[in-house]
Amino acid sequence: MRTEEKLYTLRYKKDEKPHLSIRDSGLCLECEKENGNPQPCILICPAGVYTWEDKKIVVGYENCVECGACRIACPYDNINWEYPRFGRGIALRYA
Amino acid sequence: MLNYDVVVVGCGPAGSAAALRAAKAGKKVLAIERGPEPGSKNVSGAMIRKDYVSSVFGDGLPFEREVQRIKLSLYNGDSPVDIEFSPENLVTTGRLKFDKWLSSVAENAGAMVISKTTGLELKWENGTAKSLVTDRGEVTADAFVLAEGVNSLLSMKSGIKKDFTPDTAVQAVKEVYAVKKEDINSMFNLPDESKGLAWRFVMTDPLIAGFLYTYKDSVAVGIGSPIKELVSRKMRPEKVLDDFLDKTGLAKKFEGYSLREYSAKVIPEGGFPSMNPGKGNVYLCGDALGLVDPLTFDGISPAIASGTLAGDAAASGLSQDIYYYNLVKDPEISKIVKERPLEGRMLGTDAASGYINMLSSALNSWASGDLLGIGKIISSNFRNVMPDLIEFMTKMR
Repeated sequence: MRTEEKLYTLRYKKDEKPHLSIRDSGLCLECEKENGNPQPCILICPAGVYTWEDKKIVVGYENCVECGACRIACPYDNINWEYPRFGRGIALRYA
Repeated sequence: MLNYDVVVVGCGPAGSAAALRAAKAGKKVLAIERGPEPGSKNVSGAMIRKDYVSSVFGDGLPFEREVQRIKLSLYNGDSPVDIEFSPENLVTTGRLKFDKWLSSVAENAGAMVISKTTGLELKWENGTAKSLVTDRGEVTADAFVLAEGVNSLLSMKSGIKKDFTPDTAVQAVKEVYAVKKEDINSMFNLPDESKGLAWRFVMTDPLIAGFLYTYKDSVAVGIGSPIKELVSRKMRPEKVLDDFLDKTGLAKKFEGYSLREYSAKVIPEGGFPSMNPGKGNVYLCGDALGLVDPLTFDGISPAIASGTLAGDAAASGLSQDIYYYNLVKDPEISKIVKERPLEGRMLGTDAASGYINMLSSALNSWASGDLLGIGKIISSNFRNVMPDLIEFMTKMR
């Protein structure tokens, strides 16, 4: 089963304001040189939030399962990781 | 501005224990939860010790099945060595029902519980936290309990703790499959729907801890692996789970059953007592202190234990030194502190394969009647391996 299909099992309400962002995209270039592709954030995210497009990390925060691994794995402490506001984001039922 | 005696951030087991204690002490308590309801953001294997939870929260604990068997499978290559125990007092539970119940007990004791509310920032004056800014406004209090889980943003922003690192954090992914009650019973050889199985797997190269728990009409299965290991070996956690399901034959078992939910969680592998448990009038507890049993992955008992102490500390304005002392002398917490070095030796990336190889070759020699072989294996490893191994097995119970 593909990850996108697995994510369909989740109840989700979108916060219009992204709760994840990259602080300095210049550091991502350095990271790519150092770690190659996939970079640690892309690799560790079990929801496919991060992709590498045109030499930039693109953040699909609406797929986020709020585990926090990307923030811990980023060697440059370059991910601004907040919680979605007002009870939004994922809502688990069976975990 | 609203004013409370004690404000608790997070309505998981730690937060609800803290809210319950502070409310019972007669304090005006507010507990906030960032999810739509308590439990909706929480992930765990969710095997709990019924007597311990009841000793704090009373009767009425909602659970799925009593754990009749714990099975431990140690993989050396493709074939596992299996060990089974019959535990007492363990039950499986779903986090949404469980955490909602814990929170309702705190609410009945007088705590005010508000969900869909995220703590954004603590405001400090001269080392004392004065108020908490949330996405719905600001609230002042005499004391604050941060039971905010492994992603402890407020604790980090307040400079109380540093973030977990790739070598002190395990990435876990979990899937819950909808399986009919009778099918679960026959799949795992259980007598009826009141009895369940908890199954733990240890694999080396890559180092993976797997788990499977039977709920009433579903089965939870997942893996955890150190973030450092995943990153350095370029392994995606969801791929590790897929491979694990194939290797164990579980993928075949679940064929034709639908996936009910997919989730992920970071499991802390370090923390208290090598960090301060708080600052001034702010007390941390649960996953925010990194309190997960490294051998059983039980984070719920230590969350309740530390939450209880945090609630007491917040209600009576205890100093951080006394809070620290109360934590280290608590049996649930001191157990973790003692087990961490053992876990480091047992499951340290390099050591684990040695242990498992040793165990499986000893058992193979035994099976083939090569008693001399066992003697050799055991005596050559006895000094460094056997005591740890025996301790590990007994602690797994």
